[in-house]
Amino acid sequence: MRYGGDNRSRLLFVTLIVTSLFLITLDLRGVSLVTGLRHSTQSVFGPVQRAASSAFSPVGNFFSDIAHLGRTRAQLKNLQEQNSQLRSALVQRKDIETQIKQLKSVLNLAGTGGYKIVSAKVISQGTSDSFSQSITIDVGSNGHVTRDMTVICGDGLVGVVKEVYSSTALVMLESDPSFRVGVRIAGSQEIGILTGQGTDKAIMQMLDTQSTVKVGDVLLARGSEGGKPFVPGVPVGTVTSVPNSAGQVSQLAEVQFFTHLHSLGIVAVVLTPPINDPRDALVPPKPIPTPIPTVTIYATPPFVTATPGATPTATPTPTTKK
Amino acid sequence: MYTRRSINSVAIFLAVYLVQVVIFDQLHIPLGGFSIFLIFTLCWSALSTPEVGAIVGFFAGLLLDLAPASNGPLGQWALILSSIGFGIAFLRYGDDSLRSDPLSLVIFVAAAVSVAVTAYIGFNGLLGLEVGRVSQLIRTVIGNGLWTLAIAPFVLPVASRLHHAVFETREFQ
Repeated sequence: MRYGGDNRSRLLFVTLIVTSLFLITLDLRGVSLVTGLRHSTQSVFGPVQRAASSAFSPVGNFFSDIAHLGRTRAQLKNLQEQNSQLRSALVQRKDIETQIKQLKSVLNLAGTGGYKIVSAKVISQGTSDSFSQSITIDVGSNGHVTRDMTVICGDGLVGVVKEVYSSTALVMLESDPSFRVGVRIAGSQEIGILTGQGTDKAIMQMLDTQSTVKVGDVLLARGSEGGKPFVPGVPVGTVTSVPNSAGQVSQLAEVQFFTHLHSLGIVAVVLTPPINDPRDALVPPKPIPTPIPTVTIYATPPFVTATPGATPTATPTPTTKK
Repeated sequence: MYTRRSINSVAIFLAVYLVQVVIFDQLHIPLGGFSIFLIFTLCWSALSTPEVGAIVGFFAGLLLDLAPASNGPLGQWALILSSIGFGIAFLRYGDDSLRSDPLSLVIFVAAAVSVAVTAYIGFNGLLGLEVGRVSQLIRTVIGNGLWTLAIAPFVLPVASRLHHAVFETREFQ
């Protein structure tokens, strides 16, 4: 049989309902007692909740991951795509930064030397049928480039234009075994012929049998008639060794190129030679050696008066501070 | 006798509330989750007389109102749970055929939880509080009901044993 309740229970129920409504009214009217009660509860349960939150957060995250499995997958895919795009952008940015750096240095060199140039980007690097050491640049006859023009970069000489097409040009690098350039030693102005060896080093042969060359000498392009194929004053390399052979007619020297031919990005073709020979103005500054700090320790043996039976004691030196 | 029952009941409800706050409130359970405290309260009310059901609902509601996460005015949960506690006890008490059937009790409790949540949301709406999107509300109400259907079979034996221990009444097995 169902319990129908009596008047007492109904009265109790009505009392509870009225009490609830009274409390709601009090709270909505902003009675401070209610706020105080909530704050007290918060202060009691706050620390417990914080501790529980750190303890149960892995379980909570697990449930959350299950609930949002599809969304999480989509987010993961999105993030992977974004990551890939950002990586690509980062690589591009680094590439652009390198190109800007190279462009700045080549403009600096051209400005100092007084060369009128057109900058170009290396679009391919490697051997071809005609030349074993060559690069292709993205400027051709449309950029007023013609055969036998000097190609430089921020570090110095790169090579010489050998073939010109409408929008590209083929450049023979200075490292090519068939490459020859007249050079002079900065300072002494003694001249020689530099020949590529297929590596990042070349051989220079002095023209004058009485000339002397020493390690560390900087070589600059001597320049050709009308600035073709070489404009004067372009840094070429530095002497790294001088073989001493008694039977040689003229002196030979091994030369290290200034230009890193394997990492060319931006180069410049010299369209017009300078009005005045820049002479030694383009000699690169010698690298400043990084100072290595050295610590010298002087051993100062204490002066101890040898007294039989006496124990040596450390005597502090009094200092006066003002 | 009455004082002992009251003290025991308060201790039990505080313990369940603590479990709710410390454990279940920290879990991001899908479909809106469930409130073990709400399920326990309604199970307890369903096993009690209408007077006890209403009183238990009222004080349990007050405890929920005082919860840090509660966004409604004080007395809102008390009003809802005292009404539903009285109602569920009124409907069930004395009906021996229903009383001996735990499954029907679970369904009753699940329905009562859904009604309680709906009433709470509706009340918030009437008071002009932010209640969220309708689709989300429907999902929460249905989710609570479904979770209660899943959880209540585990809560009911515990509530029944404790209720028996406090009031020395018949318990479900």
